[in-house]
Amino acid sequence: MAGAENPWVLGPIIIPLFGAALCLLLSQNNRLQRIVALIAGLAACLASIVVLLANLEAGSVGVQIYRLGGWATPFGIVLVADKLAALFCVMGSIVVAAGLLYCLQCHDKCLEYPVFMPAFLCMGAGLSGSFYTGDIFTFFVFLELMVMSSVVMVAVADSSLGLEAAIKYVFISGMGSLLLLLGIAALYTTFGTLTMAQIAQAFSTGERPLLAVPAALMFIIAFLIKSAVVPFHFWQPDFHTTAPTPVHGVLSSVVVKVGIYGIIRNTSSYLVQEGDLIRTILIVLGLVGIFFGGLTALRTWNAKRMLAYSTLGQVGFILVAIGWGSQLAIVAAIIYIFNHAFIKSGLLMLTGVIASHNAKHSADLKDLAGSGKGLKFISVLYLVGGLALAGVPPFNGFMSKVALVRSGAGVESWIVLGLVVAGGLLTMIYMTRTWQWIFQQEPPEAEDTGHAPAHAPHKSDSPLAPALLIAACVLLGIFAGPLVTLSEDTAAQIASPEIYACSVLAQMVESGMSLPEGSYDCTGGMEISAAPTALPVLVMEVPGR
Amino acid sequence: MSILFAVATGIMFGLGIFQLLRRDLVKAAMGFYTLFTAVNLFMLAAGAFDGEVPAYTDQLANGQPSDPVVQGLLLTAIVISLGSYCLILGLVNVSANRFESVDSHEVDQLKG
Repeated sequence: MAGAENPWVLGPIIIPLFGAALCLLLSQNNRLQRIVALIAGLAACLASIVVLLANLEAGSVGVQIYRLGGWATPFGIVLVADKLAALFCVMGSIVVAAGLLYCLQCHDKCLEYPVFMPAFLCMGAGLSGSFYTGDIFTFFVFLELMVMSSVVMVAVADSSLGLEAAIKYVFISGMGSLLLLLGIAALYTTFGTLTMAQIAQAFSTGERPLLAVPAALMFIIAFLIKSAVVPFHFWQPDFHTTAPTPVHGVLSSVVVKVGIYGIIRNTSSYLVQEGDLIRTILIVLGLVGIFFGGLTALRTWNAKRMLAYSTLGQVGFILVAIGWGSQLAIVAAIIYIFNHAFIKSGLLMLTGVIASHNAKHSADLKDLAGSGKGLKFISVLYLVGGLALAGVPPFNGFMSKVALVRSGAGVESWIVLGLVVAGGLLTMIYMTRTWQWIFQQEPPEAEDTGHAPAHAPHKSDSPLAPALLIAACVLLGIFAGPLVTLSEDTAAQIASPEIYACSVLAQMVESGMSLPEGSYDCTGGMEISAAPTALPVLVMEVPGR
Repeated sequence: MSILFAVATGIMFGLGIFQLLRRDLVKAAMGFYTLFTAVNLFMLAAGAFDGEVPAYTDQLANGQPSDPVVQGLLLTAIVISLGSYCLILGLVNVSANRFESVDSHEVDQLKG
């Protein structure tokens, strides 16, 4: 069954790139640049939602495909939006659009740098592109586009430390890209193709040529570096903390998810047989990440840095869920990824808003102590975000946590589950601690400066974008049904990798090309092999009853 | 031919890693570029010499053409590695002006 041709798949990639070019032409007018960027971001967001809806409409195997330049599949680059890619792209483009909305009312000096908005849009294009692409080399190209544009934005940040963080990141991330490229070259040598679907076909025969497994492991390591999983995380807190607020919001919430997307894509379609080993590694790394991230977040004296460390911990939760690997656990991982993106970007932008109230734009907790005393609205938003991150009932974080715990109980790995729940408590502690510091303390008396410019005409950033994101968190918490259903469908599609492979290759099969023996049979119509088990997220079954 | 490429790739990997781990940021950037070139060389070895005649020419009847995909990949990879190298050198240049040193041990204000 062929995937449906759908030119909208091109939208989330081409619109931001076009917008970036337009922004470069408008470099004389910073205001107009920001507006054009926002429009491009919203249009990309719309396109990605259209793709997701088309995917849903087409039922369980509706994979949307666009063949670049009209080339038939094994010869040209193909963009594939299956449910996983479409869902991730919607998440990414919504957060990028929120970041661009924040840029509109942001007073950081670096945003006036003429290349800043084009770089932001390029980051968005790279993000969507790396989700949609069905070709490993194009994946590398989009990943590099994303990395390089984020490096530019951090290097010009207002904080003078941004440059140092950018140098650190560009070297470490460069090593990741190098491993990825090496893996791509090795896979190409082995299988003679770059299309993910064909590689999945070749792996599905069960044969393992000499270079295939090392290549796939290089992929995994590269992805772990890109998503800052604990032994490879050294760049992340510095790089994210020094980034300008809107960029930090995007980096810490969706850019780190690209690596996770790569891991899911790889373990589900190529490395099905090596899955057990990889999953054990992921569980161990995830647990280390949960505790390392949580404990360092507790002792950090900078609100932005704390959230960056918190991302380490949250990525740990996601990795544990992927490591459990049951269908339910993958559902949990997807829900977690989706919800965390909104919570974390909302919280980060709120922190940026609060930090913009002091003249130094510092996010140091000692500078922030009590600075939010009068800001009732922001205080409530921050508390909601913090509670959502910790997984307190009415908000969407609760849904992620419930699905995670439920899937852990499903695979009966009680020790890991206990550690995960204990790690979840750390989130509660560090979020409430920061909230108290910022919003509940008495502001320190300005004793040293008698001529303190108490009512200087200082403009602070607008809390509109984070308010929308936090509102999305609340809505996703109350009306969680659609997301859960969608995640179930996605997980079911992940569980049958032949759908992805055959949707892309159907055209090739019809034109009479042969597939390797013993691989997925793409000739007949396809059904999802295992009927998706309904997920009683809210009905906690008591074992043994 | 492939033995030659294997040896060359190995030597360049060694040199690249050695340079990358040095304290001098400019030398580290050079190491980064050497490593990328080593990977490019590996990719070239992956398919460029399988054929006997160039691809997309009228000599196709004379034998197996060499793989054009590898050449396309290489061109892209070279552009990307050159671009990253330029970006790194630019960053190192600014940091050298700011810290008046390219020693990575003196560029260490980020803590916490």
